Amino acid sequence: MGSGLVSGLLAKTLRSTTLKLALIWIGIFGAVVAALLFYVYLSASSYVRSRSDHAMQTELAGLQKTYADLGRGGLLAIIGQRCADKRFESGVYLLADASFAPLAGNLDAWPSVLHGSSGWGNFIAREWKPAAVNRPMLRATFATLPDGSHLLAGEDIDDIDEFVDQIKIALALSILLIFVIAGVATVSVTRRTVGRIEAINATSRAIMLMGLGKRIPLRGTRDEWDQLAANLNSMLERIEGLMAEVKQVTDSVAHDLRTPLARMRGRLEKAYGRPHDGGHDKSLIGDLLADLDGVLRMFSSLMRISRIETIDRTAAFRTVNLAEIASEVVELFDAAAEDKGGLLDIVADQPVSIMGDKDLLFDAVANLVDNAIKHGREAGHVTVEVTESDGCAVLSIADDGCGIPSNEHQHVFKRFYRLERNRRTPGNGLGLSLVGAVARLHGARIEMLDNAPGLTFRLWFPLPAPKGAMSKEYPA
Amino acid sequence: MTAGRRRILVVEDDHETAEQIVDSLATSGYQVDLAVDGNDGLNRGRSAKYAVMTIDRMLPGIDGVAIIQCLRRDGIVTPALIVSALGEIDDRVRGLRAGGDDYLVKPFAFAELLARIEALARRSDTVVKETVLRVGDLELDLVSRTVSRSGRQIELLPREFQVLEYLVHNEGRVVPRAMLLQHVWDLCFDPTTNIIDVYVGRVRRKVDGQQAYPLIHTVRGVGFSVRAPR
Repeated sequence: MGSGLVSGLLAKTLRSTTLKLALIWIGIFGAVVAALLFYVYLSASSYVRSRSDHAMQTELAGLQKTYADLGRGGLLAIIGQRCADKRFESGVYLLADASFAPLAGNLDAWPSVLHGSSGWGNFIAREWKPAAVNRPMLRATFATLPDGSHLLAGEDIDDIDEFVDQIKIALALSILLIFVIAGVATVSVTRRTVGRIEAINATSRAIMLMGLGKRIPLRGTRDEWDQLAANLNSMLERIEGLMAEVKQVTDSVAHDLRTPLARMRGRLEKAYGRPHDGGHDKSLIGDLLADLDGVLRMFSSLMRISRIETIDRTAAFRTVNLAEIASEVVELFDAAAEDKGGLLDIVADQPVSIMGDKDLLFDAVANLVDNAIKHGREAGHVTVEVTESDGCAVLSIADDGCGIPSNEHQHVFKRFYRLERNRRTPGNGLGLSLVGAVARLHGARIEMLDNAPGLTFRLWFPLPAPKGAMSKEYPA
Repeated sequence: MTAGRRRILVVEDDHETAEQIVDSLATSGYQVDLAVDGNDGLNRGRSAKYAVMTIDRMLPGIDGVAIIQCLRRDGIVTPALIVSALGEIDDRVRGLRAGGDDYLVKPFAFAELLARIEALARRSDTVVKETVLRVGDLELDLVSRTVSRSGRQIELLPREFQVLEYLVHNEGRVVPRAMLLQHVWDLCFDPTTNIIDVYVGRVRRKVDGQQAYPLIHTVRGVGFSVRAPR
């Protein structure tokens, strides 16, 4: 099992795109480095060789000058000195006559590769340093002196070849090292990437098989992988929340639909088996129509909320006076408050302009006021207030009823959510969902405060941009 | 009344709905032509003069709004009632509404369909500039904005007066809630609360309270109607 997992990971590593890309880049990079190092090798070796050639040439010129200054005798003396001197150990010297017969120096015979009056040549001399085990490669240059004799100066270039070889080996080793390090780095980075992606893949598969409860494990490194995992996890959380909401809504729709439908069915069934009677039938049909209207109203409310949530209508927003809308709602609901023996007040002296959709705002405010009257105290007092504060348009609706427990605050905007104690009062649990949707559309923040006793609902609407800022966008 | 005054074109592809609409309109004394698809609707709309046409929003292959736009381009100004199951008034329809057309969401009460068709048909009539409206013993003075029954003044708030005025204007006909909201408050939505009923209830208390007979009647599931007893 464990080895299967490891070999699976290895196979994935080998298939990974990261690895393929890395290998391609290592190839390109390696080729460039190899070319560069080859160039370094070429220029280093040619530099070393040209320096040694230069030294030989200088030596030959020096000897020629000695001949010019001191004659053949002086030259012979110098050559003798050089051959005996330890410091010129690797030097090669030979003075030969016009027919290349040796006169002085540390070579027994004139090298056959050198002929004519001057030039360069590489050769192996058996007789040079007879004590040496391996016959070294020599390189020399020669010139013809004015008296027709030939003067040769050179040196053992085996040292140079050895040095160049060392450079060659060092460079080859470094290329090899680069490839090895790059290869190891690639495989380890790829394995790490593949490992993290595999964790995400495994979670995705688990989610597809078992549902949204799974989360991608974090390693606590706070690197980009952890960030990705954290983001994916919070996305999953949001989806899970939405799914739960959808499920809850579906269940509620099913439940809230079934109840009136079952009622209607029962009534129809009873009426079907009963002898017909005009008055009875008429009241039955009337009741059925009312029930059906309730179901249809619930559907339109649901559709309305979902359309508010899904269609961006901010483009159709106009400047509306929130104070005026609230006043109209209050005027409409005055009668409803009166019916309950209560009082409905409005405090909105100044016009408060926001950008919005009048119909939607009206409906939302109407729902809030309706709630405040319906769930407020019998003969209670509801106050609606519209003000401007902290750069926001603030609409608050306060009642003195029994309020909403603070642990329920977050739930009341859910579709079909109803407080336990309100199960019996009329309503379908969609009013505040509509308020929530309208508030979101208008970018408004909702606040619920304990009014002790009662509840204050406060909506903070953003104020429209000042006229000066607008004129920049829409020049006259 | 001209020949075209009571003639209505119904463009509806669903057989049963079409039959129901034609039935209820015929019962109300309208002469009804039925078109079962968009092309038929266009041809009929072009060839004859109708008082009103009702057009289904979603016909096979064509949007009802497109038919209306086609007819408007040809200079045909017959008011149209768009009937739709889409449920929400979108911007295209809003544009048409401004041009004198109306909108009704499926499913609807036939009383509401009739009320809206009546309202559209009346638009082409010459408006009689009456300054005093009377129903039974109720008198509305549109100039002084006062109401009285049997000569006794009734105190109404300005908005309450508007509600009563609209109902009395439509005497004998059903005024659906949404139409009332649209005309008196200039709002285009179906209220999710029963607030219109409560509001009209108060107007009714003021107008009908302690009177010989009621004038404002509730039409269950649809709206209200003002009529005097025969």
